[in-house]
Amino acid sequence: MSRHRAVRNLDYDEVMDEFEENLEEEEENRLLMEQGVADVRDALGAEAAKVTKTQIEEALWHYYYDVDKSVTYLTTKFINPPQPKAPKPAAPKPTGKFIIPLQAMLPHELQDSLHWAEDNRDGLGGRASRLTGFRQDHVGFRVPGSSPSYPLPPVCLSTHFHDMPWGNIPKGRESILIPPVVPRCGLLGGSGAPPKMTKLQALAAARKKKAQEKTSEQEVEQTRTQMTGLSVSSTPTQKENTPLSGAFSKRLKTSSSTAQGRVPIIPTEPRSESEQSVEPITKEPEVVAEPVQVPPVKKAQPSAFAQTLFGGPTPTFTIQQDVVTLGLAPSVLEAFSKPSPDDIVLAAQAKAGKKPPAGQTKKSKLSTTNSVTSSVAELKIDDTPLPKSRNLNVLSEFEKSTQKKNASFVVVGHVDAGKSTMMGRLLLDLNVVDQRTVEKLRKEAHMIGKSSFALAWVLDQRTEERSRGVTIDIATNRFETDTTAFTILDAPGHRDFIPNMIAGASQADFAVLVVDASTGAFESGLKGQTKEHSLLIRSMGVSRIIVAVNKLDMVNWSQERFDEIKDQVSGFLSATGFQKKNIAFVPVSGLHGDNIVKRSENPAVAWYTGPTLIEELELSEPSARAMEKPLRINVAEVFRTQQSQVTVSGRVDAGSLQMGDAVLVQPATEKAFVKSLLVEDAPADWAVAGQSVVLHLSHIDPIHVRSGDIICDPNKPIPKEKTFNLKALAFDFLMPMQVDVHRGRLHAAGKITAMPALLDKVTGAVTKKNPRLVKPGQVARVRVELDDQVPLEAGQRVVLRSGGETIAAGLLE
Amino acid sequence: MADRRRINGPPGSTMPPVFEDDAGQPEVKSGKGRDRAPTAIRKMFLKTGVTPSASGSAYLEFEKSNKSDVSGLKLSCTVHGPRSLPRSSPFSPHIVLSAHVKYAPFATKQRRGYLRDPSERDLGTHLETALRGAIIADRWPKSGVDIIISIIEGDQDREASKSQGDETWDMMNALSGCITVASAALADAGIDCVDTVAGGVAALVQDAGDDSTPRIVVDPIPSEHEKVLGACCIAYLPTRDEVTNLWFKGDLPASDAGLYTQLVENGIQASRNANRVLVECLGETTS
Ligand SMILES: Nc1nc2c(ncn2[C@@H]2O[C@H](COP(=O)(O)OP(=O)(O)OP(=O)(O)O)[C@@H](O)[C@H]2O)c(=O)[nH]1
Ligand SMILES: [Mg+2]
Repeated sequence: MSRHRAVRNLDYDEVMDEFEENLEEEEENRLLMEQGVADVRDALGAEAAKVTKTQIEEALWHYYYDVDKSVTYLTTKFINPPQPKAPKPAAPKPTGKFIIPLQAMLPHELQDSLHWAEDNRDGLGGRASRLTGFRQDHVGFRVPGSSPSYPLPPVCLSTHFHDMPWGNIPKGRESILIPPVVPRCGLLGGSGAPPKMTKLQALAAARKKKAQEKTSEQEVEQTRTQMTGLSVSSTPTQKENTPLSGAFSKRLKTSSSTAQGRVPIIPTEPRSESEQSVEPITKEPEVVAEPVQVPPVKKAQPSAFAQTLFGGPTPTFTIQQDVVTLGLAPSVLEAFSKPSPDDIVLAAQAKAGKKPPAGQTKKSKLSTTNSVTSSVAELKIDDTPLPKSRNLNVLSEFEKSTQKKNASFVVVGHVDAGKSTMMGRLLLDLNVVDQRTVEKLRKEAHMIGKSSFALAWVLDQRTEERSRGVTIDIATNRFETDTTAFTILDAPGHRDFIPNMIAGASQADFAVLVVDASTGAFESGLKGQTKEHSLLIRSMGVSRIIVAVNKLDMVNWSQERFDEIKDQVSGFLSATGFQKKNIAFVPVSGLHGDNIVKRSENPAVAWYTGPTLIEELELSEPSARAMEKPLRINVAEVFRTQQSQVTVSGRVDAGSLQMGDAVLVQPATEKAFVKSLLVEDAPADWAVAGQSVVLHLSHIDPIHVRSGDIICDPNKPIPKEKTFNLKALAFDFLMPMQVDVHRGRLHAAGKITAMPALLDKVTGAVTKKNPRLVKPGQVARVRVELDDQVPLEAGQRVVLRSGGETIAAGLLE
Repeated sequence: MADRRRINGPPGSTMPPVFEDDAGQPEVKSGKGRDRAPTAIRKMFLKTGVTPSASGSAYLEFEKSNKSDVSGLKLSCTVHGPRSLPRSSPFSPHIVLSAHVKYAPFATKQRRGYLRDPSERDLGTHLETALRGAIIADRWPKSGVDIIISIIEGDQDREASKSQGDETWDMMNALSGCITVASAALADAGIDCVDTVAGGVAALVQDAGDDSTPRIVVDPIPSEHEKVLGACCIAYLPTRDEVTNLWFKGDLPASDAGLYTQLVENGIQASRNANRVLVECLGETTS
C-alpha cells in the first residue's frame, strides 16, 4: 500500500480517540500526583515546609509516584543534605581490589546524580556508572535505606540539571575532570615534560641515592675498622648478629609499596600486607595437611668473598687464617714465604741489565781520539742489527759486470699525439706484453667505446686515465734489446700535467718526441706542447732527441708531409739548442706498428730506408754517468712493503751505493740504512748512477721521507738551500714574481727576488746588468728565494713555472 | 724456553686426590646429613647496587651448609636497560626481555667453557619466563632489557669424588637463586613489576638408612641426601598468589597424586621465605 493511500485511509476518529486516551491518562497522573504530594507531605510532617511542591512533584515523577522513595530522596537532598566533608558511610568491605573514594573527588551535586544512578543500577544507572570507568562493585558508597531493586522510572535528564542554567555554570557546580592515567612511557616521545616516575622507580632512585650517601660514610668507617683490624693480633673478631627485630616491620612497608607499583591510579588505603605474607599458611589450600610452622628467615652474614667484594663492615677473617684453613703443611707455607726461584732469576737479570754493554764502553774509549760528537751519534741505541755491508768496491764491481748498458728515455709530445699507443705497440711487438693481454684490454676498451685506446691502456693503467683517454702521470716500463736495457717513461702530453712530465724528463737520458702528422694536428702541436716539451727537455739537460712522426697512415704515408714536418721540427729544435747530429726522424704509425719494431711492409713507405724506431733507440748512447760523484738519489715514490716500512723508488742520479750503506735523507736530515735494494726490479747488492732502484730503508721513520726528497751520502750531503742563483732560459717574460720551482718530483713555492744580469746565449758573458725585464728566449741570471729549505746543488736543473705555464728553465749556479 | 713467568695450569681437567682414610669413617656420611628443618631454607645474603655501571644489579649468596665442603651458591646479576631496541629489530609493543645465565669457568667441579652450554641456555629460558610474569612489560614499548647473571660459585660438593645424581638438581637450586637475584636487580633498576618474584625449590628426597621413607624438603642440597627422587623449582609472586614459572623433574610414584601438589606447596613456601629476604633487602637502603 502506497503512502498516500495510507493517508487517505487514515481513520481520523481513531486517532482522535487515542489522543483522548492520552488526555485521560494525563488526568489520571495529575490525580496520582496530587495524592502523592499529599502523602509525602504527611510523611515528612514538620519538615514538609522545607520543600516546595515542585520539588515533591519532581521526586514523585522520578520515583514513579512511590512515596517512600520520594521521601527518602527529599530528606537526603533538601532536608538533611549530607555534608561534603562528612565521614564516609560505613561501606561494606569491597570485594574488588581498589576502592575509589569518589565522594571525595566529586562535587556535591554530581554525587546526587550518582546516588540516583546507584539506585537505578539495573537500568540507566548501571550504564552511567560504567561510563565513569569503574565497575559497579568498586564504587564504595551506598545510599542508606535505598532498596536495590526498584522499577525503572521514566527517564528524564532534565532532573539532573533541573536548576542548572545554560552557560555561566557557577564554579562550585563545575565537575572536576581527572585525566585518565596514561602509562609512563618515555620512549613514545610526545610531551617534553619529564616522564612521571612510578612508585617503584622513585623507590629505586631513593635507594640509589641513599646507597651513595652511605658509601662515603662507610668508606671512612671501613678504613678505620680495617686499620684496627690490621694492628690487632690475629684472633678472629666475634661475628655480630645484626638485630632483626626492626627489620620485620620495615619489610611490610616496602613489600606493600612494591606490590602496588602496578597500580598507577589513585592509591587506596594500604592493604594490610600482614594478611598475605605473615600468615600465609592459613590461606594455603587444603592439600597441606598440617600447617607447617615457618622458621623466620634470617639474612645470612656475607661470606668472606662477599666481604672482599663490598668491603663488609666487620672483616671477620684475616688472610693468615685463610691460609691455615687450607690445611697445608708448614713446610709448604714456608716455601712460599720466600721469593720464588723465578723471582730470583728475574731480579738477577734485571741487575745484570743495568750494566752498560762491554762493546759500547770499548767504543767510547776508542773514540776519545775522534771527535766526541760523532761517537755520541754512533752510540744510538737500537735493537735491530744494522744491515750487513759487504764492503764491495762498487765501481770495480760495475766494471767487471757484463751487464747490458742501460738507458732511459722519456716520450714527450702534444696531447693525443699517440705516445702511449706507440709505446704499447713497442712493448707488444717486443713481446714484453703478450697478445692475450692486449686482446683483453681491447675488449675492455671496446666496452666503454674507446677501442682505439687499447694499446695506450698498456701504459695508462689508472681508471681515470682509461676513462678519459689521457695520460695523467708518468708510466714506467722496461724492455730489453740485445744490447741495452731500456726504461720507458711515458709522459703525459696534456698541459695540466706538465709537472709530471718534468718529473719524468728529469730521469731520462734521451727523449722521443712524438709528432702527430695528421693535417692540422701537427700545426696545433707545434704551438702547444710539442714546443714546450722540447724546450723543457733541452733545459733539463737532455741532448739527444728522436722525432717519431706518427699517424702517417692517416696521410697515406705521404713523403711530402714527412719532409715538411722534418724541416719545421729540425729548424725549431736547432733553435732550441739541440745539435743536428743528435736529432733523428722516423716515420711511424704507432697504431699499426709500422717502423716501430718491424720495418713497414706497406709499399707506400718504401721511400724510407732509414732505421726503425727501435734501431734508433739502440743507436743512442746513454749520457755519461756521474758514478764517481757523491751519491744522489731522487726519490720518486715512497711506499711500504713487507721488507721495510720505508721503501723508496727513484733513480740514482750520481754516485753509487750498496747494501748496508748508511744514507742521509734530505731535507729531513735523517740517517737511514739500506737494508736491501732492487735494481731494475731484480734484487741486487749494489747500484750505480743511471739505474732505477728500489731501496728498503731501515732505522728511519716514514714521516721523514717524501717523494721529491734526495737520498745522499751522509759524508757529502747535499746542502739545503733557501735561496739560489739560476742561469735561466726564459720562455716567457720574467720579472720579480711568484714562481713554482720544479726539480724532478719536487716542487716548492718561491719568488724571483732579483735578476742580476742578462747573459749571452752562447758564451755566457754578461750583456746587461740588472735588467728590468727578461724577454722570452733570453738567458738571464735570476735569484730565487724559496719558502722552505730545499736540497739543491749547483749543476742541478730546475724549471720555473707560474700560473700553469712554464716560464723558465735553467741550471743552478 | 717455556714461559716461566706465568703459572700455567694443567691443560686437561684434574681431580684432587681423595684420601682413603676419609672414606674409612662410616659416621661421616650421616654427620653430613641435613640439619635444617625440612621447611627451612638456607640463610642468604642479598645486596643490591653492586655494579655501578649497570642500571640495576644484585649479589646473592647462600650460606655455607653445615658440611664445610659444600660452598654456598654465589650469584651476581646485572640489569641493563630499559634501553631502546636497535633499529634493525622489529617493532615490539612491550619490553623485550633477554636473560643470560652463565656459569663462571671455575664455578663448578667440572670446569665450564666460555661459551654458554645447553644447560645454561635452559636456565636462561626458565629465568626469562619467571620474570616475564612479573614485569609490567607494556610500559616500555620498543625497548629491551638485558638480565645477565653470572654464577660465581655453584652449589656443589667439591669433595664428592663421584658425581652424585645428576646436575639437574644443582640446576634447580641455581635457577631459584637466579630468579631471586634477578628480581632484586630489576627492582634496583627501577623496572616496574607487579610484585617481587622469588624462587623456591622443594624436593622429594630419600635419606640414608634403610628404614627411612621419602620425605619432602625445601632448598635441598643433593649431597646431604642419599637420593633425590624428584624436585620442583617455582617462581612465585606472593601478593598475587601467582606462579610464573614451574619446573618439575624426577620420578615420583604415580600412585600418590597429592605428592605433586605437596611438592609445589613446599616450593611456594620456600619461595615465600626467599621473598622475605628479598623484600627486606630492598627495604634496607630506603628506610
Ligand atoms: N690512425 C692512427 N691513430 C693513432 C696512431 N697512434 C695513436 N693513434 C690514436 O691517437 C689517439 C691518442 O692516442 P694516445 O696514445 O692516447 O695519445 P697520447 O699521446 O698518449 O696522449 P696523452 O698521453 O694524453 O698525451 C688514440 O685514439 C690512438 O688510437 C697512429 O699511428 N695512427
Ligand atoms: Mg698517453
